[in-house]
Amino acid sequence: MTTSSVGIANLPNQRYKIVSERGGTFTMMVCGESGLGKTTFINTLFQTTLKQVDPQQRRHQPLKKTVDIDLTRAVLEEKNFKMRVNVIDTPGFGDNVNNNKAWQTLVDFIDDQHDSYMRQEQQPHRDVKFDLRVHVVLYFIKPTGHGLKPLDIETMKRISTRANLIPVIAKSDTLTLQELQIFKTRIRQVIEAQEIHIFTPPLDFENGESAAAGASTQDATAAEHARQLIEAMPFAIVGSTSKFDNGQGTQVVARKYPWGLVEVENDNHCDFRKLRSMLLRTYLLDLIITTQELHYETYRRLRLEGSNGNDDNANADSSMPLKAPARKLSHNPKYKEEENALKKYFTDQVKAEEQRFRQWEQNIVNERMRLNGDLEDIQSKVKKLEDQVRSLQLKKR
Amino acid sequence: MDSPVPSSLFRRKKDNRRGITYSVMLIGASGSGKTSFANNLVESSIFPHEYNQSRQDYAISPRVRVLKPTKVVSFNSKNGIPSYMTEFDPDRAHLESGITITSTTLEISAGDAQSAEGAAPSSPVKGHRRSNSIMDEEEDTIFLNLLNTHGIGENLDDSLCFDEITSYLEQQFDIVLSEETRIRRNPRFEDTRVHIALYFIEPTGHGLRELDVEIMKRVARYTNVLPVIAKADAFARDELKQFKQSILNDIERYNVPVYTFEGDDDDDDMEAIEENQVLAGLQPFSIITSDERNDEGKYVRAYPWGTLRIDDEKLSDLGVLKNVLFGSHLQEFKDTTQNLLYENYRTDKLSSVTKNTSVPVANGAKNGGMATIGNRDSAAPSLSNFASLINTGHFKSSQSIALNAGGDGASASAAAGMQPPSTPHVNEQDDSKAGESPIKQMSDEIRNGNEEIIKSIKKEAQSNDTIERNQLRNISETVPYVLRHERIIARQQKLEELEAQSAKELQKRIQELEQKAHDLKLRERLLKQQAAEGSKASLQSDNKSFVSTRSISQSQMKKNDTYTDLASIVSTKE
Repeated sequence: MTTSSVGIANLPNQRYKIVSERGGTFTMMVCGESGLGKTTFINTLFQTTLKQVDPQQRRHQPLKKTVDIDLTRAVLEEKNFKMRVNVIDTPGFGDNVNNNKAWQTLVDFIDDQHDSYMRQEQQPHRDVKFDLRVHVVLYFIKPTGHGLKPLDIETMKRISTRANLIPVIAKSDTLTLQELQIFKTRIRQVIEAQEIHIFTPPLDFENGESAAAGASTQDATAAEHARQLIEAMPFAIVGSTSKFDNGQGTQVVARKYPWGLVEVENDNHCDFRKLRSMLLRTYLLDLIITTQELHYETYRRLRLEGSNGNDDNANADSSMPLKAPARKLSHNPKYKEEENALKKYFTDQVKAEEQRFRQWEQNIVNERMRLNGDLEDIQSKVKKLEDQVRSLQLKKR
Repeated sequence: MDSPVPSSLFRRKKDNRRGITYSVMLIGASGSGKTSFANNLVESSIFPHEYNQSRQDYAISPRVRVLKPTKVVSFNSKNGIPSYMTEFDPDRAHLESGITITSTTLEISAGDAQSAEGAAPSSPVKGHRRSNSIMDEEEDTIFLNLLNTHGIGENLDDSLCFDEITSYLEQQFDIVLSEETRIRRNPRFEDTRVHIALYFIEPTGHGLRELDVEIMKRVARYTNVLPVIAKADAFARDELKQFKQSILNDIERYNVPVYTFEGDDDDDDMEAIEENQVLAGLQPFSIITSDERNDEGKYVRAYPWGTLRIDDEKLSDLGVLKNVLFGSHLQEFKDTTQNLLYENYRTDKLSSVTKNTSVPVANGAKNGGMATIGNRDSAAPSLSNFASLINTGHFKSSQSIALNAGGDGASASAAAGMQPPSTPHVNEQDDSKAGESPIKQMSDEIRNGNEEIIKSIKKEAQSNDTIERNQLRNISETVPYVLRHERIIARQQKLEELEAQSAKELQKRIQELEQKAHDLKLRERLLKQQAAEGSKASLQSDNKSFVSTRSISQSQMKKNDTYTDLASIVSTKE
């Protein structure tokens, strides 16, 4: 066999070389209310201090009412393979009294990345300079034991049409096994009923079965693995960065409570390993490819179709790169609220001024009346004097 | 129990014989463990979990008796549809729940509770409690009115929630106030003022959030607020210490008026001061609650990595909190509510009410701009008139003044084509009325009538010589009326709003459902067509139709490629 080969079979190896030299890019967004352990999770996942825990000071600035986008870039290296990792955090999400439209910032960000990529692609020289398309969004669910809140549902719905969404139950070490089971079932029911499309590992039924028939055990185990992952969804996670002795002499990443040690990488304690497998070990490429082939394509198609349908100008020179979508400033509900407040202020001011004018006017009217009276008096006086003069003149004659 | 005259020995004795009425309110984001806490507090499983109603293992401790079962006392929601204790329905999970306040009245025979609690490992606090608690003396029962709030944090916009809570608390004050000022008092009047509110802080590890600060600040006007850290089992020991500190910092930073354990140096004995110091050091209390009992009947939380008992003093302050609530500080909370918060409220309210009724001018001012415009308009023309004066009238009118100097001013202006002063007045009033909602108009009318009565009462009083006494009498006659009236109007307004909203929401839902039905029908037809084609035509045509459906589904931005039916996979596996 070796003698007859011409080297075509070497193609995968060539590809491997290219890829390993070029490295990879992975963009991940974490999303959820503050205090759910997003930062800790990121650091646990990559096993470094990728993101600094926010200094307490920043949180204690006057309470902000907006959702921010916070980008952390890092290059990770494992076995000489370089990986550029972008982590996008969304501080302020869900922290306010009024969280209506809090998802707008996230959705806009994801769309903006698709848009910027698309426009770079349409340039004559299309070497893409930066690509921040979000490959996966981790949505952190608060471990209430109740279910999903309307905010969760609305946000997840919107994200799921734009990027790969993986919901995770944060801080699952506050739920007992039974509670967690009920909670998971409930979340799954809601996700299904509300038609939220979360990312699931590809389950090629036909392929898998035929391959299994062909005794390809590798595929069968992969399918089994995927099935296990899907069953465990939404993943319950525990994050920690400190290591403790687990009682058998080995140091493990864990959280130490007075009542026990929660091992992060223990499948009986949480689903962290499953999630990591989904995110990095097994399905990283799937995530990236789905983003490119599904979400980006959908966005691109909708944009191109939509702008052709709407704008006649864009239709005229469709060869030109598309303009950025006209995103009005006022689309943000926060601005709307501000606008309303300003309007109210304006009307109040106008009213006050009006009042003042009325006062003036009244004064003027009073003054006029007074002057009229004076005039009358003077005129009558004049008349009297004239009469007097006349009578005197008569007398004189 | 009786009309709350300033606390005297007499009253206390009487109270003791009958038992103590005591209202506790639990406030906190949903899912922070309020219901579990309520159950743990009375060591029973009385309160069903909102999200777990199927598991009804109703159990009640022998010391506890339910006097009045749980009922909804206040409710508000944006879409006007009550959500409390509705079956879990994933299809409706995206709807906002609004807020519901429920009340349950329990009778707790405290004497037994004491001994039972005493069995638990004793802390320094406990020791003090035994010595100075009034509960150990003679009274045996507490009538506990437990108020629970549902739905905070479940809405997209939570501002509705704290408005509802504060208005409920204010209402209780109003009820007491109107009862107090009444001449003939109701002997079976029930005091429903809330003596203490426990605020459940979520275990974020970061400090207070905007919602926490806002609610605590607002509620603190009407009741004592005691912040507690819910689900403290989310923290390792150091983290908990840090979290407590950052909460204390935040409380100071945002000036949240929470209840602090400060002993009066003058009259309290040494033990009490020491006790308060210990408690102050523990604040904010961190609690762990659970529904599970172990074999010994103790509540535990069983994790795969270990089991903890919720009454373990080292881990949770639940025991301490219980003692503070039912033991050492029960009377303290009641007194603060009565003597400080309620008195302040009463002063504010009465001074505002009496000011409005005694000064006739204030009457007009309260009626809003409408009356003031009406009063003044006889003299001053409106703005539109003024504009005409500037544009055209000025020259003319000056002319007219010069011409008809001898004539009277009114006829002169009429000759100059200006509107008579009465017309703008009428217009103005119509405009302002049209701008208001019909409900507001109605309530304004009612209020007008109301104040007329008050005024007439007032006039009668003035004719009398003993003004002082009559005024007092007047207050006692009018104040309950005014208060009740205001309350009725507020409630009426709220109900009408709710009705309108719910009608709107229902309409919307109907439309949605119709839309859905329509879509489904379309899809069904498409599928039928497809099936017919598929059976007839070759593989190629089948492919074609597949492509067409695919494009349709894609245009709805559905990702059938990645979306696999989660539940079906799981269920088939099982």
